[in-house]
Amino acid sequence: MQTTHRQLLLATPLRLCCLRQRFYHKQTLTNAVVQKKRTELFSKEAKRQAALITDIEKIEVKYYGHPEDCTLIMNKNMSTPFNCAQHINQMILERSVVAEVDGQVWDMHRPLEDNCGLRFLHFRQNDPYYANKAFWRSASLMLGAVLESVFKDNIYVELCSFPSPNVRSGSFVYDVDLKITKWEPTKEELRILSGEMVKLAMASHRFERLEVDANLALKIFSDNHFKRNQIPHIAAQSSSGNTVVVYRMGTFVEISCGPMISNTSHLGKVSVASVHPIETNDGQLFRVQGVALPRGFMLNHFSYGLLEKRAQRLNSGRIPVIPTVESLPPQQELSAA
Amino acid sequence: MQYNRLGHLTRQDTSSSLGPLAFATQIRNMSRVKRRHSQPPFWLPKTTRTMYPEELTPENESYVSEVIADQYSSPLKSDPWERGAWHEKSIRCGVIARKIGIYPMWTKNGTRLLTTLLQVTDNHVIKYIPPEDLMETEKKANRLRPTAALIVGADAADPRMVTKEFFSLFSETGILPKKKLSKFLITPNAKLAPGTPLYASHFRPGNYVDVAGVTIDRGFQGVMKRWGFKGMPASHGVTKSHRRGGTIGSGGEKARVLPGQKMPGHMGRERRILKGLKVWRINTHYNVLWVSGPAIPGSTGSYVYIYDSFLPTRKYTAENHPPFPTLFQDEQEIDEELYDPDLHVFSEPAISFADEK
Repeated sequence: MQTTHRQLLLATPLRLCCLRQRFYHKQTLTNAVVQKKRTELFSKEAKRQAALITDIEKIEVKYYGHPEDCTLIMNKNMSTPFNCAQHINQMILERSVVAEVDGQVWDMHRPLEDNCGLRFLHFRQNDPYYANKAFWRSASLMLGAVLESVFKDNIYVELCSFPSPNVRSGSFVYDVDLKITKWEPTKEELRILSGEMVKLAMASHRFERLEVDANLALKIFSDNHFKRNQIPHIAAQSSSGNTVVVYRMGTFVEISCGPMISNTSHLGKVSVASVHPIETNDGQLFRVQGVALPRGFMLNHFSYGLLEKRAQRLNSGRIPVIPTVESLPPQQELSAA
Repeated sequence: MQYNRLGHLTRQDTSSSLGPLAFATQIRNMSRVKRRHSQPPFWLPKTTRTMYPEELTPENESYVSEVIADQYSSPLKSDPWERGAWHEKSIRCGVIARKIGIYPMWTKNGTRLLTTLLQVTDNHVIKYIPPEDLMETEKKANRLRPTAALIVGADAADPRMVTKEFFSLFSETGILPKKKLSKFLITPNAKLAPGTPLYASHFRPGNYVDVAGVTIDRGFQGVMKRWGFKGMPASHGVTKSHRRGGTIGSGGEKARVLPGQKMPGHMGRERRILKGLKVWRINTHYNVLWVSGPAIPGSTGSYVYIYDSFLPTRKYTAENHPPFPTLFQDEQEIDEELYDPDLHVFSEPAISFADEK
């Protein structure tokens, strides 16, 4: 009798919340299942946060730049710099990578909160420092997405983190735990990884930003022990003390603080260059490195080959220090939701 | 009937190669159909890439140029290949040269002769193809004896301007990509390691060479220039037929135009080989050969391919054979100017007087 009841549970997932959790629990842990769960939780939270806005209030956004300075009347907590660009110019819309709101770098798809001054940043301006940094950061995130989806089902990949983007280092990086001791990818395998990056770029996914409560973040990343340990530290450093910024690109959800580019289609030539094993305080991780150029930047094969060669050298970015249970200070424990 | 490079007898359309001096029996065949090839065969890799503006800063561009200079400045370091010994049936590699001009020379008895200057520009061996690999593409070459091949390249090109596929032919050897490539059939004992440079000193004054090149493209020409027809008088009632071909058939039993009928058409831009040209002088500093004759195929600046002559009366013997497989100029001292003994050298004293007693 009991077995048939359990079989029914597995065969027909009912819509009740508690049964769905048990459904996830009973399935074998694969990256595909985990990704699906994360995007569903993200979508639910995004809908909930959108529903909190009942009245539409107006804000004045002063735009400075080409073709002329102007003032736009936009919706508070709903309109994004992307929407402002839609009002201005096709060229501005296509080339803008990140926005600058009152001197602070701002995602293109992040809602504006109050009256502000707005500028757009792109790759071909005189000093594209912030645009380049956002590009490098987004490339790391995309690399994480690729690593989570490209391995066979019997390997459960746990993404650790990526260091702060440093374009001058020559490569963008993601540190990942593959739970295998040795992996020396062949040229063909690296080409496959690069192809997956290109596929993501062609799919033109938006980078959606969401500020979530730390407890919800823990629920989203409950299957990744690295993220679970990082979330309390990140939440403590946020302005409210209890929120974590989460990004979604396609079906991939990730924690990151800094601004991302607006769309994966800004990625042009990209190659995953090398994989290096690195030793951390809590075991071995693999540092996957790549190099990329924004779309529209053409370069001959020889010069691009020099960039690839440089990206093969081990990146000098910070080796992650994994906070274990012992290292967590007591005052940073979270209160129960 | 003529001998080709590997000693095989071949039939050739002798009337076409000798121009107006037609032989009694005109060989009529389809050998002259489809002579023009404006594009190389489709299976060869494309050499140049489509040019687009690259938004590199001047500092970055000069950095890449420095990297290219550093990477390709050092000579090839690899295990030296064994150097074969000459035997009677050996065939050496050839070189690729550029025709740079024509100059008169005088022999010691005062005979004036015109010589063509051929400069061997930056030749390197790119690849060695052993006989078993050559069998796949050139079965005829291996019929009589095992024949190998060497691919030689001339004139370095900027690696940034070539396609990736073409560049991959050279990246293993570690030399800059080349603008001109050619395959030379050799006997296996004449093999050279990829990356070996070839100089004008590969030959010596007094050697006889065959020079192959592509003739000047004269475009669409009439029968008088193309075939040497005599045309018709300018006056005395000739109606509209001063430079035309006249009759094209005999009528009668054949009742058709025979294949190979000489008519106006495209003239030039064909591969021709001049045989048995003597090398009179070599300059080893600028890698220039002075080769007899003003009629090397092609215009000034065009590429030609120079081989040891195949004429039966110009065969080498054990005493007078040239440096085999090539002269490794980096390993030995060599004079800058080398002259044939019969050549009059203006810089040397012409007459010497004995001391009067």
